[in-house]
Amino acid sequence: MADVSLRGVRKSYGSLEVVHGVDLDIKSGEFVVFVGPSGCGKSTLLRMIAGLEPISGGEISIEGRVVNDIPSPQRGISMVFQSYALYPHMSVYENMAFGLKLAKTPKAEVDQRVREAARILQIEDYLDRMPKALSGGQRQRVAIGRAIVRNPKVFLFDEPLSNLDASLRAQTRIEIAKLHDTLDATMIYVTHDQVEAMTLADRIVVLNAGRIEQVGSPLELYRNPINTFVAGFIASQRMNFLPVTVEGDRLVLPGGKSVASNHPQRGNARTLGIRPEHLVLATPETAQFSGTLSVIEQFGEYALAYVEMPNGDLMTVKLDGAPDLELHQAIHVGLPRDHIHLFDEAGRALR
Amino acid sequence: MESNATTSRLTAIALSFMAVIWVSPFSWLILNAFNPMSTGQLEIPKSIGLDNFALAVSGNAGRQFLNSLLIAAGTATLSVVVGISAAYPLSRLRIPGRNAFLWTLVLLRMLPSAGVLVPLYFAAQRGGLLNQFGVIIALTILNLPFTLLLLKNFFDTVPIELEEAAYVEGATLFQIVTRIVLPMSRAGIAVVWFFSFTGAWNEFLLPLIFSRVQDGFPMSVGLYAAFGQQGAINYGFLTAFSIIYAAPAVGVYFLLRRNMNTGFAGVGVKG
Repeated sequence: MADVSLRGVRKSYGSLEVVHGVDLDIKSGEFVVFVGPSGCGKSTLLRMIAGLEPISGGEISIEGRVVNDIPSPQRGISMVFQSYALYPHMSVYENMAFGLKLAKTPKAEVDQRVREAARILQIEDYLDRMPKALSGGQRQRVAIGRAIVRNPKVFLFDEPLSNLDASLRAQTRIEIAKLHDTLDATMIYVTHDQVEAMTLADRIVVLNAGRIEQVGSPLELYRNPINTFVAGFIASQRMNFLPVTVEGDRLVLPGGKSVASNHPQRGNARTLGIRPEHLVLATPETAQFSGTLSVIEQFGEYALAYVEMPNGDLMTVKLDGAPDLELHQAIHVGLPRDHIHLFDEAGRALR
Repeated sequence: MESNATTSRLTAIALSFMAVIWVSPFSWLILNAFNPMSTGQLEIPKSIGLDNFALAVSGNAGRQFLNSLLIAAGTATLSVVVGISAAYPLSRLRIPGRNAFLWTLVLLRMLPSAGVLVPLYFAAQRGGLLNQFGVIIALTILNLPFTLLLLKNFFDTVPIELEEAAYVEGATLFQIVTRIVLPMSRAGIAVVWFFSFTGAWNEFLLPLIFSRVQDGFPMSVGLYAAFGQQGAINYGFLTAFSIIYAAPAVGVYFLLRRNMNTGFAGVGVKG
């Protein structure tokens, strides 16, 4: 257990800078998720913490000690790779014992720690198997087991679930959450999947193009996204955005209808954001906008209706249950004013 | 139906004829080798014995067998050791022009060895290496380009993430190479070793020029020298000698096949 802090961390390859000065404090025992689209620098950041990439600028410290020039093995970290990186010529037991043996740990202790980790992860039965005889989910556990046995201060996960199928991913997600609870260790987890970020994180760090966009708990990011990027990225269904013009205390929507707003800075509003789950069906009289139903996806417990607006834009509406709607029928949608997010010209949220 | 049967009978006869042509040299070889009173004719031996083989592994011939073994195993081992040390950095470091470099080396190997014989000879003479050790070094040098290219390609198949994982776990570069990279490339290393072994075993010209005393001859040179050595040609001895000389190649073939079947490194890592 240890806290990790990043001070103005930069990374460049030649003249190309890919991480532009990241500042972040991770508390001991915290589960922090780096999330962002591919190429945003999240993996690079993790690899710099791991000691696999040299740091071009700034400082990384683990447990109060600057680790910029400390080689990876002495940083007290363990890493779980996307491809699991199990040694194919060693059995599961040997894979897990490898690091300990290198550190010249006494045999009895190696055995005890490997078996303890195997027990936590329920892989005791596979200890003698070779990695190629395991399924993806089992390999994943061995990779995590290999990280656990070394008793690290910080766990680093680099997209550990992206090679698993959807149901296994959900299951392993829960196991990682449990593991964090059991081990009470600092964990840094990189993913491009916002569902993993929402469900696992104590705090989410949203990265975009080598910069931190926002840091906060999952619900903070959901409720108060700082800009249109975070608003569009966090939550399973993307937020809808509508251009608005301001007339006094009313925001005029495309199509001429308007919603009232008492936001003190509403004068700067250029874009209105609303999440699909907050939109409601309405009658033509009470609706803020109308369109035709272009696609409907039924999930049983809910449905996603994609409404084509007169200007051609698609709006997503999440409806409870299994609504009885016909394709191409007219849909009237109401905007509850409590759930509206407003953004200025630069896409920043108005607070 | 009738014509079909005729055709197939004719085909069978033609094929048998072909088979006899193909097999006869081999049967001549085997029949003579096991015939203590061989005359060099293709005939069924009146008695069968291993006298010829006994002759072929004792005395001069036995020493030549050991010489061949020494040269072949020495060359193969030295090629693999030097090849690994050079191929690993070539596989992992971004050296500018590294592919051009590798292919230039291969071009050097394409030169017939007779073409580089004179400079090699004088270099060995100056270095006092006109002996088996000199042959091993010269053959290793000639072998290295291919060895390098093959080993580099094998190392390329070992995922870099495995090395990173080992590094994070505290392995030094030497431990990463010996415990991760080499065990995962062992099929490739075996292929390279066996190829170098057979190559050196078959080598004739270099040992002939380098080792000019009878004691230093490997089998390839010994076989050549044995023609007409005792006044007349001893066919029984020569055939037994040839079989022993060819045996390692056959052995290598089976060893290689088993190794190739166990598969190459880098498989079964992804989920």
